[in-house]
Amino acid sequence: MSAFRPHIERIGVRKFNLKLIFRLMGVLLMYHALGMALPFAISIYCHDGAQFALGMAAVGILIPGLFFRNILGKNPTYDIAENESYWVTTITWLTIPLSGTLPYILTGATGSFADALFESFSGFTTTGSSVMAHPEELPQGLLVYRAFTQWVGGLGLMLFVVAILRRLTLGAEQIYEAEFSGTQQRKLHPRLAKSVTRLWVIYSVLTLMLFLLLLIQGTPLVDAICLAFSTVSTGGFVTHSSGLSILSDGCLCTITLFMLLSGINVAQLYRIFTLKLRHWGRDEETRAYLLLTLCSISLCVIGFVAAGQDVGTSLRYSVFHIASTVSTCGYYLPRPQHWSFVVSVLTFLLIVVGASAGSTGGGLKLRRIIILSKYIGNYFTRMMHPNAVFRVKVNGEVVQHDYITKVFAYFFLYIAFIVAGAFVLTLCRCSIPDAICMAAANISNLGPSPLINNLGGSLDYAMLPTIGKLTLTTLMLAGRLELFALIAVFSPAYWRRGT
Amino acid sequence: MLMVEGSLMLSCLIPALHFADGTASAISASGLFTFFLGLLLRVSYHDARTITDRRNAYLLVVLLWVVLALFGTLPFLATGTLHTFSDALFESMSGITSTGATVFSAVEWLPASILLWRSMTQWFGGFGIVLLVLAIVPSLGINKYSLYTAEASGADNTGKQSSTMAATIRQTLGVYLTLTLLFVFLLWKSGMHPWDALNITFTNISSGGFSIYNNSLEHLTHLQQYIVALAMLLSGVNFMLIFHLVTFRWDRIRTKLDQLSFFLGTFVIASLFVCFALRATAHIPWADALRCATVQTISVLTTTGSLVADTSSWWVPITFLFVILSLCGGMAGSTTGGLKAMRVLILHRNVRKILHDRLHPHAVNPVRLNGRPVSSEIITNVMVIFVVYVLVITVGIMLLMLCGINATESVGAIIACITGYGPGLGLSGGFGCYGAFTTAAKYLCAFFMLLGRLECLTLLILLVPAFWKK
Repeated sequence: MSAFRPHIERIGVRKFNLKLIFRLMGVLLMYHALGMALPFAISIYCHDGAQFALGMAAVGILIPGLFFRNILGKNPTYDIAENESYWVTTITWLTIPLSGTLPYILTGATGSFADALFESFSGFTTTGSSVMAHPEELPQGLLVYRAFTQWVGGLGLMLFVVAILRRLTLGAEQIYEAEFSGTQQRKLHPRLAKSVTRLWVIYSVLTLMLFLLLLIQGTPLVDAICLAFSTVSTGGFVTHSSGLSILSDGCLCTITLFMLLSGINVAQLYRIFTLKLRHWGRDEETRAYLLLTLCSISLCVIGFVAAGQDVGTSLRYSVFHIASTVSTCGYYLPRPQHWSFVVSVLTFLLIVVGASAGSTGGGLKLRRIIILSKYIGNYFTRMMHPNAVFRVKVNGEVVQHDYITKVFAYFFLYIAFIVAGAFVLTLCRCSIPDAICMAAANISNLGPSPLINNLGGSLDYAMLPTIGKLTLTTLMLAGRLELFALIAVFSPAYWRRGT
Repeated sequence: MLMVEGSLMLSCLIPALHFADGTASAISASGLFTFFLGLLLRVSYHDARTITDRRNAYLLVVLLWVVLALFGTLPFLATGTLHTFSDALFESMSGITSTGATVFSAVEWLPASILLWRSMTQWFGGFGIVLLVLAIVPSLGINKYSLYTAEASGADNTGKQSSTMAATIRQTLGVYLTLTLLFVFLLWKSGMHPWDALNITFTNISSGGFSIYNNSLEHLTHLQQYIVALAMLLSGVNFMLIFHLVTFRWDRIRTKLDQLSFFLGTFVIASLFVCFALRATAHIPWADALRCATVQTISVLTTTGSLVADTSSWWVPITFLFVILSLCGGMAGSTTGGLKAMRVLILHRNVRKILHDRLHPHAVNPVRLNGRPVSSEIITNVMVIFVVYVLVITVGIMLLMLCGINATESVGAIIACITGYGPGLGLSGGFGCYGAFTTAAKYLCAFFMLLGRLECLTLLILLVPAFWKK
């Protein structure tokens, strides 16, 4: 029963530490209930009539939490096998969003369980797809809750887990990596717990700044809270059915800036905060991110102007739209009168590429794209000079060949998921381009699809049949967990005993 | 090469004279022109040495296809069946890359010689790609068609008879010709006019898909449809494999068993799905559903593009499945387009390996194909091709939309062109045609046919600036 059992012992015998997992889920559920205090308070403050439902939901989440923590998960051993991290990750990401359906059901905001599930997963995975056609009619407490789920999901539930399981000696790193998988991020601090704390601090400060800025510019309190949560987490839930067009231009600018910031690696943000700007400018990924944003904006403007739109409107729309897409935030404005197909396809490309690795955004992540493009560039040269030796370097560090293979495999899986998801969506009477775009928008945790013809908003998800909603929910989760954790848990090889 | 094409054109004279449709002089003029130009080039460069430089090899391959396509336009223009160069180029490129996309909304009014010419370009193009892989690969070494060389060398280790390239080429050619003759004979015996049998065999054995009837295979009897389906199925199998099958070389067959079972497995599963889906949505009898499903699925999987019915009215998920299947394609070393079964297999197994590595970090677990480990060189080659493929398709769709084509149509057309399937989605799908596309869109599609046929990298490398530097 020692917490310091050697690592070696557990290889070959996969016995899941169920007690610990129960305890973990219990604690997380309790935190979840605690987090509902904020929406509850707002609800009371605004007299929106949902106080009782939200309170009930909080209790409803708290009770199983207590049960898990104190009865099923009493006195656990604090160690975890190396492979178990996938299991822990997946179960966390299933339990919490599942419990998150309760507020939607109890307030009666969603028609069916599938709707509630869709909304909840869309929140925690920071996707921002919504089945609510008219969010302004929802109780304000629920709006805040919705945005709050995105904020929590933004940095990731696993960071909570790591923070909670301070006593965990082994396996914590794996859990950390299960969520930031494959991006080879440097930690902010040699000690995991410390770097996690730093991440949360940066994140909170950023949110607070945005909240205050919005408030100063005259945004109503509830809107400011919701938008601050949804923007910094690159979630993209809106509080009004016409998107962000209710906001003043100043607010839009602020939000655009913060969307762009949220698409940057959090470690890079930390450098901004600590004023280490020299290192900041050297990071290839950030430079690529900014370059990509600029190029896309110019292309967008050209597209609009060619389609007959005036320059001012196209510039305003393009900047906002591209910032929203490149950070996979997914806010939208009403479309300009003249729409250009260039923008649709460009949006699609940007969705798949996604934000920087280690940011709250989704997609394939720029770092991977940089590695891929460098490798392919080398490949062309090698076709002419077969004996030349090339290495791929990012930020001056050589990327191992094994890792490159993984990136390629990830790319393949990503496309395969999009295609498979789109196939199921065509069963739900979507046209083929619509299906592909919807699948891509959800696996990249963006939200609204770029091709759907009215508004470009999230209105259309409500019309999907249940199977379509469940498919998209799966895609959101798969995208957020970067595929491998989910596939591992659902592959038979994982459950086979022994090695 | 031009000489061969010229003589092919001249051979189109026979039906022209036979049916006396008044196109004889035009065809013979273009045939003679091509033939003599080829002769001239041959004579003036007869002292040129064999290609040793890689860059020349890439250039040669691309030029070969472009020149063939350019000269292929002559009969269309000379006979006046097509009036604009873009149409003629589209049709000719579609033929020589054995794609099967057409600008003709109706083909039955065309002169017999032109019909034969279309069929023949496909037959020639279909074989050309196999020949290309076999003949020019050695000078390119492992990089370009490392897939195929890997396969070929794998086979070479097990025996000595066919270890030389010339023998392989001879065998492949033999298989191709035998299959052609066999199916002409079969179709003829099943009650088809020999002329029809010849054309239909030409376009299906090469996985091309041009038809001499407006309603493609629907025109045929059920038995004939199944025969054509068999022809398509065989066109999707590696020709060397067929050779070994016929000569009972079981030890050789084992080296390609994985691909074969993947190819056939995909075919069976997809057909069953399509069969049930057709039964459920179109309410046709089981026998018809099964026939339509099997024939059409194999036509898609081998990227042939012959149509057993008007697929544009089929259920959308079936159409989407067809798009996915055409991207998979048949086996490497056959006449089909798409990614090829082998690459899809390697991609899949690599993912499985990586997953396994994560779960068991200390295990040694190479990607295996047919029981042999696959070298990392090949895996990266496959990966690069996959990424480039996806990228090129996306860019293509974007460009096509810029030409004023709508989204569904663009997706369908680009994928149909790059995989060599032929019919797209919407207006260009089913029994429709590409005639309504704008000139720019037609050039773009023709370019994508070439891109798909030469597997992207060969053509794209010409666009890299470093290629042209000394």
